[in-house]
Amino acid sequence: MCWPTFRRFGSQGGLKAALYVLLVSAPAAAQSVDPSALLKPPSDSWLTYHGDYSGRHHSPLAQVTPATVGQLALAWAFQTGQTQQIKATPILANGVIYITTPDNLWAIDARNGRQLWRYAYPTNDGFHIGHRGAAVYKDLVYLTTPDAHLIALDARDGTVKWDAVIADAKKGYWSTNAPLLIRNHLIVGVSGDFDNLPGILRSFDPETGKAQWTFYSTPPPDTPGSVSGGATGGQMWMTGTYDPELNLLFVGTGNPTPVLNGDVRPGDNRWTCSIVAINPDTGTLAWGFQASPHDTHDWDAAEVPVLVDAEFGGAPRQLLLQASRNGYYFVLDRTTGKNLLTTPFAAANWASGVDEAGRPTPDPAKEPARDGRLVAPDEAGGTNYRSPSFDPATGLLLVSAHDAYGIYFYKKEHGKYGWAGADYTVHGRGVLRALDYRTGAVRWSHDLHGGAGAAGVLTTAAGLAFTGDSANSAIALRTSDGATLWHSGIGRVGNAPITYELDGRQYVLFGGGSALYAFALPVTP
Amino acid sequence: MLATALACVAAPDAGAQGREQSSPASIRPAPPTAPQAYSREQIDTGRTRFAAQCGFCHGRDAAGGEGGSDLTRSALVGEDVRGDRIRPLLRSGRPDKGMPSFTMPEADLTAIVAFIHDQRAEAAAATGGRRAVDLADLQTGNADAGKRYFEAACARCHAAAGDLKGVATRYEGLPLLQRMLYPGSGGRGAGPAPKPPTVRVSLRDGRVVTGPLAYRDEFTISITDADGWRRSWPANQVTFTVDDRLQAHVEQLGKYTDADMHDVLAYLQTLR
Repeated sequence: MCWPTFRRFGSQGGLKAALYVLLVSAPAAAQSVDPSALLKPPSDSWLTYHGDYSGRHHSPLAQVTPATVGQLALAWAFQTGQTQQIKATPILANGVIYITTPDNLWAIDARNGRQLWRYAYPTNDGFHIGHRGAAVYKDLVYLTTPDAHLIALDARDGTVKWDAVIADAKKGYWSTNAPLLIRNHLIVGVSGDFDNLPGILRSFDPETGKAQWTFYSTPPPDTPGSVSGGATGGQMWMTGTYDPELNLLFVGTGNPTPVLNGDVRPGDNRWTCSIVAINPDTGTLAWGFQASPHDTHDWDAAEVPVLVDAEFGGAPRQLLLQASRNGYYFVLDRTTGKNLLTTPFAAANWASGVDEAGRPTPDPAKEPARDGRLVAPDEAGGTNYRSPSFDPATGLLLVSAHDAYGIYFYKKEHGKYGWAGADYTVHGRGVLRALDYRTGAVRWSHDLHGGAGAAGVLTTAAGLAFTGDSANSAIALRTSDGATLWHSGIGRVGNAPITYELDGRQYVLFGGGSALYAFALPVTP
Repeated sequence: MLATALACVAAPDAGAQGREQSSPASIRPAPPTAPQAYSREQIDTGRTRFAAQCGFCHGRDAAGGEGGSDLTRSALVGEDVRGDRIRPLLRSGRPDKGMPSFTMPEADLTAIVAFIHDQRAEAAAATGGRRAVDLADLQTGNADAGKRYFEAACARCHAAAGDLKGVATRYEGLPLLQRMLYPGSGGRGAGPAPKPPTVRVSLRDGRVVTGPLAYRDEFTISITDADGWRRSWPANQVTFTVDDRLQAHVEQLGKYTDADMHDVLAYLQTLR
């Protein structure tokens, strides 16, 4: 119980507190999170949204095995007391869990679920749709807000250190983003689909909140010689991944605006619905790959770009894998952005083929029309924000997929601003699919018993996959064949599970409804 | 300044019973009979609160956003009188459909109700609205071709002179199209939900229980018994069959061309 004591030292006592903790309870990590720790995160923490820079959402922990997972029991639960569902991936540093909902950040003792402090952002008029999570650096923790601010809090007690504006909320930007820390850059994305706004990704000094650079996925207003065909949009609302050797940040970009009206933005609309590789020091583009040229269905390519070093085509390669919202699975060489594989992993009827660059070619007959077009996937997509997981032992990429159809309408009267059209989901079915990373072949499927899932996937070195179904349960599957080994009816899992080890005990953490649940193998009292 | 928002009440024959049974033309906008007045101030406050809390899913103008329905055409909004339907729904949410519950001050709830009614009135007064799909938009099919397709693909379960007799007098336009593709997909605005499939559960002691499906996931099977009680069993302790006839609609989604879809719709429109 070092935390209550620790908090007495206040914001000036960081060093003394660190020494105290090292002497008394000796956890593996120091109190202050060094950015270099993200290169090799210790197993007693989950320092960044994806757990590490690779986006594999995979843990080396193996205390809980296929043989023992059936005994998993509740270690503790934390009730937010809010009506907002937890959609955030928890961050864990120094034995403290940071979990968010829009306007809220809680610090919780990872050993027993006790609240240490809570920060509530003042009431505001931004979009309150969800929140993906926090970020940590040294003794600071960061929260993005519905009105597109970036708040730095003292990780010890939640006091505000600084408040920076990411983008102008009055224009229609908001943020649900879990920032990504790369050395002395805090990379922050925004959303903004309801207005015709340029897509922006920004870097801030994590110490001071001073802006460092802005990357535009579509041209800033009044740019001469626009390459985007007049499109705006391409918001980078999901957390990217990072390759330290190449010094490249990989981010998926959002759909173009106006969303369903493609007539007013001819051409491919670069770099919307793309995976872009960016130098994190300068914000300059190294390469881009467009998953959906000229999208007219709201299928952003914001899904996690998963970085894997593995054999491909007979040679070791530095790969980037993405199961994209448009229903296609892509493999790229991440050093150049060159496409190596394009194949569907969910119902998709919108492309007439794949071009020489590996991009699906949109069938003009499937663009939204006055009399309606029956299109797969629906607007929610073949997958979405929910984290996939790559298991190195089996070479499987586990994806929360969605086979779905929608009807898409557009006519001139719908205009050219914001949504500019109408679409209706007809039917969708959620299914967890295990893809062979080399071919995209489905090795197994696990029915999620409902529509699109909300949960991400976590795999562990013991051969387990943790996720939630579309009904009522957290589930554990055997990674090799998808067999169910454990479940708990905690309610619909709305986030990506994480795992960590403290005091020799492995915990698996799920968000169910508006509560966090930590499971572990039983110990004798 | 007072702005008048008009709420539609359900058509006379669209009460609870009517909706469950024959479902008349309740899906068509009914004439406004219960005028509801809200102050401009309330509506403006409601606009701000709605945008922040509801706008992502239902659109800032309440005419539909990502995943949420078009509230200006919602049957429930149509039946609402000064929040008597909307308010409880905001408080309870619809967890099964991903809608959270909301705790907010009474004044904010009232403002949101005011804004929704104002948007509904505005949408009803507008023609060719921003999100609207009009009946005239959907008249591109060929009824003869649709009849041939229907007889080949749909006649195993449906009959023009049987269950679908007069279907075009009950539904039209987008709700008819949604119902045709997958019953229930248009929400309450597209008529009653389809009957749940029948489940036959064989218990370990040899007894057999049948009833309409109430709930099912990987671990539980649940029916409503003849007396209206829910009965549940662990899915791995019984054997059961689910006669889900709607699965044929799901399979058809992967087979329709857009022309097929419009042709079948044109044919259904002749079934008066």
